[in-house]
Amino acid sequence: MIEEGRPLFVQIAEDIENSIIDGSLAEDAQAPSTNELAAFYRINPATAAKGITMLTDKGVLYKRRGIGMFIAPGARDLLLGERRAAFATRYLDPLIAEARTLGLGPDDIARLLQERAATTMEGTSR
Amino acid sequence: MNRVINVVRMQLVNRQAYVWVPVIVLTGSLGLTLAIYSIIAGSGVQGPFYGGGAQAPLWCLLAVGVQALTLSFPFSQALSVTRKEFYLGTLLSAALTAMILAAIFVVGGLIERITDGWGLNGYFFYLPWVWEHGPAAAALVFFALAFGFFVLGFWAATVYKRWGTVVLTAALVIPGLMLVAALWFIGRANAWVQVGRWFASQTAPGWALWGLLATAVLAGISYLILRRLVP
Amino acid sequence: MTTVIEVKNLTKRYKETLAVDNVSFTIEKDAIYGLLGRNGAGKTTIMSILTAQNFATSGDVRIFGEDPYENPRVLGRMCFVREGQKYPDEATAMHAFRIAGLFYPNWDQAFADDLVADFQLPTKTRIKKLSRGQLSAVGVILGLASRAEITFFDEPYLGLDAVARQIFYDRLLEDYVEHPRTIILSSHLIDEVSNLLEHVIVIDKGRIVMDEETDAVRDRAATIVGDSAAVEAFVTGRQVIHRQSLGRVTSVTVLGRLTDADRAQLAAAGLDATPVSLQQLIVRTSQSTASKEGALL
Repeated sequence: MIEEGRPLFVQIAEDIENSIIDGSLAEDAQAPSTNELAAFYRINPATAAKGITMLTDKGVLYKRRGIGMFIAPGARDLLLGERRAAFATRYLDPLIAEARTLGLGPDDIARLLQERAATTMEGTSR
Repeated sequence: MNRVINVVRMQLVNRQAYVWVPVIVLTGSLGLTLAIYSIIAGSGVQGPFYGGGAQAPLWCLLAVGVQALTLSFPFSQALSVTRKEFYLGTLLSAALTAMILAAIFVVGGLIERITDGWGLNGYFFYLPWVWEHGPAAAALVFFALAFGFFVLGFWAATVYKRWGTVVLTAALVIPGLMLVAALWFIGRANAWVQVGRWFASQTAPGWALWGLLATAVLAGISYLILRRLVP
Repeated sequence: MTTVIEVKNLTKRYKETLAVDNVSFTIEKDAIYGLLGRNGAGKTTIMSILTAQNFATSGDVRIFGEDPYENPRVLGRMCFVREGQKYPDEATAMHAFRIAGLFYPNWDQAFADDLVADFQLPTKTRIKKLSRGQLSAVGVILGLASRAEITFFDEPYLGLDAVARQIFYDRLLEDYVEHPRTIILSSHLIDEVSNLLEHVIVIDKGRIVMDEETDAVRDRAATIVGDSAAVEAFVTGRQVIHRQSLGRVTSVTVLGRLTDADRAQLAAAGLDATPVSLQQLIVRTSQSTASKEGALL
């Protein structure tokens, strides 16, 4: 679950973001506490706290004084927007490069994409 | 002061070394000595009999003194006890043990006086020269011996830990050499008579006090070494 | 944050060897630190000096602002259980815990009892008769249950099998969350403990080669693998700490975070980037420092 070579707090934050995106953490729901995260991932609570802080700074979480951290309204949309913007760099560029190595052009990619999308994306469109 | 008392409790948690082994050794030695006396008495010899069996527990205390440094000191350091607290607490434990041993010896001596040597005219605790000046003086002698043996062991262990075998051997050999040198000087000055007279005039309690003085010196040296000793 | 330990220019010399070489660092309150390095790097020596069990040749050590030597006020707030710790002869684990309870104001016997059950430690057996693993368990329990404000663990979990070690890490974290205190863990099993550490201090040959927040170091390096020419092209201008070749394939470890742009460049060149774990980073840096002078990080 934990990858090498990347800051832990970033991975913790990403896991929480993933939960928000797939709907398991709804807006205005309570986020897991620092201690819960530390126990779950078996990491130092300070690291977990850093992840929470990062998300708070981003506007994904907010603090309710005396109670804890909660998912901000609009968090999901915020994250989706962010991921979409990075989509091209993170996924498309490597795809195009690999395709080029294999001698596949953009039209080939488009055709393959249509074929695959028809079978795999059924029932998962939002 | 509280922490010093706790060091005493720490040493006494190891009751086996401080209490049981010396008691067992003492009882065993006493039993053996009396057995030998009764055999000799049975064959018609009169007595009074004296034996050296009473020294056995002293060697126990020597060993306890050594271990107090080699094993208890490193543990006390892990628990963040200061060297001074450890030193005072350990000496206090030794003093308590020595006092109890002295009490046992005095009681034993009194019993022997009352029973005329266990009915065999054989004496283990009651050595006339030691008891010349009464039970209190005898107690002092026993205390000085017991405490002295402990400190000797402790001192030897500190020297060994700090400087190793060679220095320790030298430290033990040098007093012997000094004694030989002293004898030579006395011979040169032809002072045998004076020295002899001085020795004869010393009493057992007198020796006890000299012993305690020597013990204090060794104890002092131990502390100076302990202050810079790495566990 | 408050500083609880301050070390300045600490040096320890044994005849000709320099065990600790001009080391300086600070330890903040209530954080978990890793003191990492090879065997013989100087970790134990440093910890011994901090707890006044050993003496510095030169330099300054302040614990809670004071000199720890013969200082019961300061020493009473620290606990240092080392590898190969000696215990009183004939003492059992139960004796050891009872004695610890006398000296540590925060000693928690109930917690010690729980740990005894966790590690399946026979408390009535004499310590000198315990197995290596059980001996380590005694040390670990002493360190944990003491709840000392500053607790040093000098690889006392050597001898514990992997399951027992995981129990130790878990209990340590749990108790740290409930009762925050300053913990300094020395280890050469870096990857195992790295998740617990907020801060790492790496020692090599008596010198500090890294003193950073763990998370800052985690993506400090990457290994680029692929066609030799392409790899060399990519790594020009970057700091290389390790290089290995097999035929036309080269594997190079470079310092520096890989940005998204970097990753795109790598993908375009057909190169792979693999992450570098903390342990690999430290090992490679030490190897690299061995051939050059000075710290690279």
